[in-house]
Amino acid sequence: MPLLVAVGVFRSLASNHARTLILARRLQSTHSHSRHGTPNYLESADGLISDLTARKHKYERTPRKFDAQGNEIDAYKGGPSAIDKAVHLFFFTEILRGMWIVLEQFFRPPYTIMYPFEKGPLSPRFRGEHALRRYPSGEERCIACKLCEAICPAQAITIESEARLDGSRKTTKYDIDMTKCIYCGFCQEACPVDAIVETQNQEFSTETREELLYNKEKLLANGDRAEAEIAANLYADHVYR
Amino acid sequence: MPSLQRYLRSIYRVGLRAWWRQLQYIGDAKSGRLVGADQFGNKYYENYNAEEEVPGRHRWVDLAQHHYHASQVPPEWHSWISHIRKDPPTEDSIMQASRQPWQQPWTENLTGTRGAYKPYNTVAPKINAWEPKASARA
Repeated sequence: MPLLVAVGVFRSLASNHARTLILARRLQSTHSHSRHGTPNYLESADGLISDLTARKHKYERTPRKFDAQGNEIDAYKGGPSAIDKAVHLFFFTEILRGMWIVLEQFFRPPYTIMYPFEKGPLSPRFRGEHALRRYPSGEERCIACKLCEAICPAQAITIESEARLDGSRKTTKYDIDMTKCIYCGFCQEACPVDAIVETQNQEFSTETREELLYNKEKLLANGDRAEAEIAANLYADHVYR
Repeated sequence: MPSLQRYLRSIYRVGLRAWWRQLQYIGDAKSGRLVGADQFGNKYYENYNAEEEVPGRHRWVDLAQHHYHASQVPPEWHSWISHIRKDPPTEDSIMQASRQPWQQPWTENLTGTRGAYKPYNTVAPKINAWEPKASARA
């Protein structure tokens, strides 16, 4: 410490007077222990304080200043800033405005669709439960070409076929594992005779997993029960195909 | 309060008895035009007045059974209540023309009951148990 002071004295004796003053000032500011009294790092001449300084000296409080009559010079020093007060004001009114919106919604008619009494809109192209269709004569459409089995990305379809007594090829086994099915609709797009379709029925949830392993009889029964809806939907969509 | 007005107006239109039934099932007082009924006795209503019904709630069904389920609606009316078809099946000529004489009656989803679907194999089994046949000794 005495060595540092001695250096400062030595520098003050240098030839360039202005440079000496700057250097002395720098030494004073960088070596706080050489100064008596507690320095106030949180005040600077230009009003600019670096974050590092503020963080390092955050426990040193800025002294309050009083004039000759004993009044505090900067009464707002240390209090909330104008931005803080504005933020509090607007955030508080924002809470009130939000509560008002909630109150308005309370007196509005509900938007909730009361399923199953009311239902949301469905497309005629909606892909739900599968069905095998029949021709208007009652003959089943499927010709066992196995295109749906080939295109099925989940490999959910299993088909076996035989020639019937009249020579027509028909399926003996047409199984769809509805737990594998991803309802992509490729089967009904691949079908050349519109035999396999996905109906608009989506309420076929079951209690056991076993009931979702559909066989040909179940699929034909689905088609027999919903044929009017299937045909009307295909008719509504035929202009886009 | 338009919703309270609508609620009281609906009670005035449908009557206290129907209002009580609506409270037990649909949970709201709704009034509208009776569009039709299906073979199971479910009644279908619609109200296109946007002041009274929120768009999306303007078609509804009064299901006949106490233990109601969405699949109790037959497919023809399902396509009406799901807004797939504009007209109800009683007025829809395409839907009526699509109906086939060999069609089966609609059944609701019977899962959990004795009428539930049980899968079975539709072809003869390919693997059979070995049945030893001993040829007669000479």
